[in-house]
Amino acid sequence: MKEVPVKIQHNNEWIVVKMGIGEDRIVLPAPVNKEILFKTVADIAEKKNILIITVKTDAETVYKILTVEKVLQVLKKFILASCNAYRLMAYFMSPAIRGGVMIKDAQWDKGSVVVVRSGIWFVSATKQICVPVNDVAEIELTKRDVQGKPTDVIKIDHLESGEVSSSFVLCPLSTLQVLYNYLRDTTKSMDMKGTELDGVDQQVAMLVYSGMDSHAIENMLNIPHKQLDAVYDKILKLGLGEVVTIRREIQLTTKGVRYISDATKSQTN
Amino acid sequence: MGKILIVDDTLFMRTLLKNILFSGGHTIVGEAGDGEEGVAKYKELKPDLVTMDIVMPKLNGIEALKAIKVFDPAARIVMCTAVGQEQMVKLAIKSGAKGYIIKPFQAPKVLEEVKNVLAS
Repeated sequence: MKEVPVKIQHNNEWIVVKMGIGEDRIVLPAPVNKEILFKTVADIAEKKNILIITVKTDAETVYKILTVEKVLQVLKKFILASCNAYRLMAYFMSPAIRGGVMIKDAQWDKGSVVVVRSGIWFVSATKQICVPVNDVAEIELTKRDVQGKPTDVIKIDHLESGEVSSSFVLCPLSTLQVLYNYLRDTTKSMDMKGTELDGVDQQVAMLVYSGMDSHAIENMLNIPHKQLDAVYDKILKLGLGEVVTIRREIQLTTKGVRYISDATKSQTN
Repeated sequence: MGKILIVDDTLFMRTLLKNILFSGGHTIVGEAGDGEEGVAKYKELKPDLVTMDIVMPKLNGIEALKAIKVFDPAARIVMCTAVGQEQMVKLAIKSGAKGYIIKPFQAPKVLEEVKNVLAS
């Protein structure tokens, strides 16, 4: 068993310990004093360099481990290979499309797809990519050209740094159907039923996605501010958007008008 | 920065692309609402780059692309298409398209693709 220094959150404080890593477990010495079998890991997530592991034995315990990328990679490799998850061998391409543009050097990787409670992991010899369930926009069974043949694949649309990316999974059709159903079930909290927008609302949503601000949207669609506000309300109510900036419009008071008149005079004199 | 011709049958998409490209410092030299008009405008305006929708009336985007390529083999054409039309994109690339963007667009990605194609 190899020992590596890591920081672990213990009693709401980050402490440094020498963690032992074996092929089927990690050992956290005092003051944590825990041995975690990878097969008892019910969920694994990553935020920056922090690995969040949920262990389920009699009760659920969450461990947060902060360490260098190299150690994290080894940890993730072992945990994802053995944890309690839906796992299958597959080819994947992640991401294949980013922000509406197909990635030119995207290629199929041979590895496994591991579905845990909080995310979908794509794991190969060189990659460990996680798509958090909350970031999944759509899952679709579709066809994609693979070596010149239209082939059944699962397309997963997901948010990545604020833009929609698409990843593909390829495996035998029977397995693909099972995976598709499993993914649909895992991500059903993101179901879009009852989320209906009319023509202008849809256009507004698309313009927001494209990066247009309120002013540009009003000009492009030729709609007044109040109408746009009402569409925003609808989008917010449906949980399709969130407020990032509140901008104000002002008009000058008499004092303000006098100020700019004086300023103009002094510039022209 | 380039002189760009936008070919798309929906006014909304043309307006959106126009805004995105304008914000990136490009000049929109013309717009066309179908493939046939797109080819005619290309011959007339000789833009640096064309953004070409695929599904359009009269001539579709692939046919228009081929017609422009006959007129000007060095034409830089970026295909715009919806997700799920990847076969069409491949056909377009085989026919000489220099790049492709998939709807819905995000401004930075569109500008990046256009920049790459203009530099090619």
